[in-house]
Amino acid sequence: MKPRLTVVSQKAAPDVRSPILEVRSLTKVFRSAHAPVKVLADIDIAAAAGELICILGPSGCGKSTLLKILSGFIRPSAGEMRLNNRPITRPGPDRCVVFQEDALFPWLTVAENIAFGLRGKMKDRKAARQEVDRFLSLVGLTAYRDYLPREISGGMKQRVALARVLILQPQVLLMDEPFASLDALAREEMQNLLLSLWDQLSHTILFVTHDVVEAATLADRILVMDKNPGHICAEIPVTPDRPRRQDEPGFIRFCRTLHDGLRGGFSERNFPGWP
Amino acid sequence: MMNGTTIKSGLSGLLPWILPALFFLTWIIVSGTGLAPTYLLPHPETIGRAGVAYIFGDPDQGAYAGRFLSDARASLFRVLMGFSLAALLGIPLGILSGRTMVVRRLLSAFVNGLRAVPGICWLPLALVWFGIGLKTTIFLVALAAFFPIYLNAAAGARSVDPLLLQAGAMMGVRRLRGTFAILLPAAMPSIMTGLRLGLGIAWAYLVLGELTGVPDGLGAVIMDARMLGRIDIIVVGIILIAVMGRISDLILKSALRQLFKSARRLT
Repeated sequence: MKPRLTVVSQKAAPDVRSPILEVRSLTKVFRSAHAPVKVLADIDIAAAAGELICILGPSGCGKSTLLKILSGFIRPSAGEMRLNNRPITRPGPDRCVVFQEDALFPWLTVAENIAFGLRGKMKDRKAARQEVDRFLSLVGLTAYRDYLPREISGGMKQRVALARVLILQPQVLLMDEPFASLDALAREEMQNLLLSLWDQLSHTILFVTHDVVEAATLADRILVMDKNPGHICAEIPVTPDRPRRQDEPGFIRFCRTLHDGLRGGFSERNFPGWP
Repeated sequence: MMNGTTIKSGLSGLLPWILPALFFLTWIIVSGTGLAPTYLLPHPETIGRAGVAYIFGDPDQGAYAGRFLSDARASLFRVLMGFSLAALLGIPLGILSGRTMVVRRLLSAFVNGLRAVPGICWLPLALVWFGIGLKTTIFLVALAAFFPIYLNAAAGARSVDPLLLQAGAMMGVRRLRGTFAILLPAAMPSIMTGLRLGLGIAWAYLVLGELTGVPDGLGAVIMDARMLGRIDIIVVGIILIAVMGRISDLILKSALRQLFKSARRLT
């Protein structure tokens, strides 16, 4: 029923020298009852416009905290964050988040959820409606526009979550393990959808995941994180064309190296990469 | 179809009516056989006749005939005034105290202290302050209805999923719009519960306020009938208050559902 979404065209290689999002020596210390706990230490990230970066790491390495800081929900203890050369201080629609859990408004229909952020931004009612229709069809939910979140599946909810932020045309999309709670089939479908939307709309994406295969499928570049305290231990460029077939020997070999690296710790910051 | 399911569903349809039917049967037997004297417990038929006269009769037909409309109007007005006052204060204060630590700490000791005082204790004081009549009744109704409305609004606001507020913030929603577009709808089920509980209590305190010697109102009729020994009218009054309370609850519920998407879709 639903068309399989695959990526046809390829974009030019991103230019990392003029980053749109810049993070410099970001550190976060949580004060607990006993002693301060350092959860993030000296994080440096430079994301080029239109780049898809996966942040890969085991649970507890602070990758979700990093995303919360970038979205402005938590203040960092030290360090600098800049988007388009402007410091990041509070949540805003230029850096939209797709949460891991269901964060749709349960009293609004699919279409109303997608339109939520537009109200107040777009005055023209008719144009806003057309925009909602466009994004409904982009995520393949036109037939479900009047359904409530509790009436649709987990995968569809994440499509709505994606559409309601993409419609705001954010400069950076922050995704916090958005497909982790989906079944394998739905997850693959969502990954394809994300790639196709990314290809059409050219957002910069920071995608947090603990799934090696997901990172290898999506990323232009993988930042590997390790814990105690959370830091980036390796930076791996991933250059093969998309769509990347997951049964290809090169893909499998790359995933295995990533997996072993996650387990044993990456010895050097610059990992060979793929291919 | 005579299978087990139909018999079962027929029985379960009857289930709620068994106790009322038994109750009426006992009542008819007790007062029909003279086991209980009719000046203590009139026959249901007497009460039915008194009720019809009270509601539909001409004023010149008897002591209470035809008074229902004016009594109901007076009582309804008092309930509405007191209840609206309670809602107007209770919902904003509740939401504020549910979301703001300062307000919560400021209010909670005071409100919980006041709440411990039985509502009836306020009656003598209210009589001194406001005299007999409208103001005292409204004061008592508002005071009693305030607590469930306030407490439920506070609980609802406090338990709103922070993820929803974060989602709003990242979509560029500022404080004021966030309150009306996210906080209120998300807390709506609790607010609705509080309002319905408050309305129920409002009817109870209406009777208390009207017992003090106002000329009209359903509570006044009950008190008046006691003085004149008209047990039938007392029972009629009780039943009518119950009916009006139930109807006003239904109206409140459907009005909220009409007005708010969240009330319609979350409850």
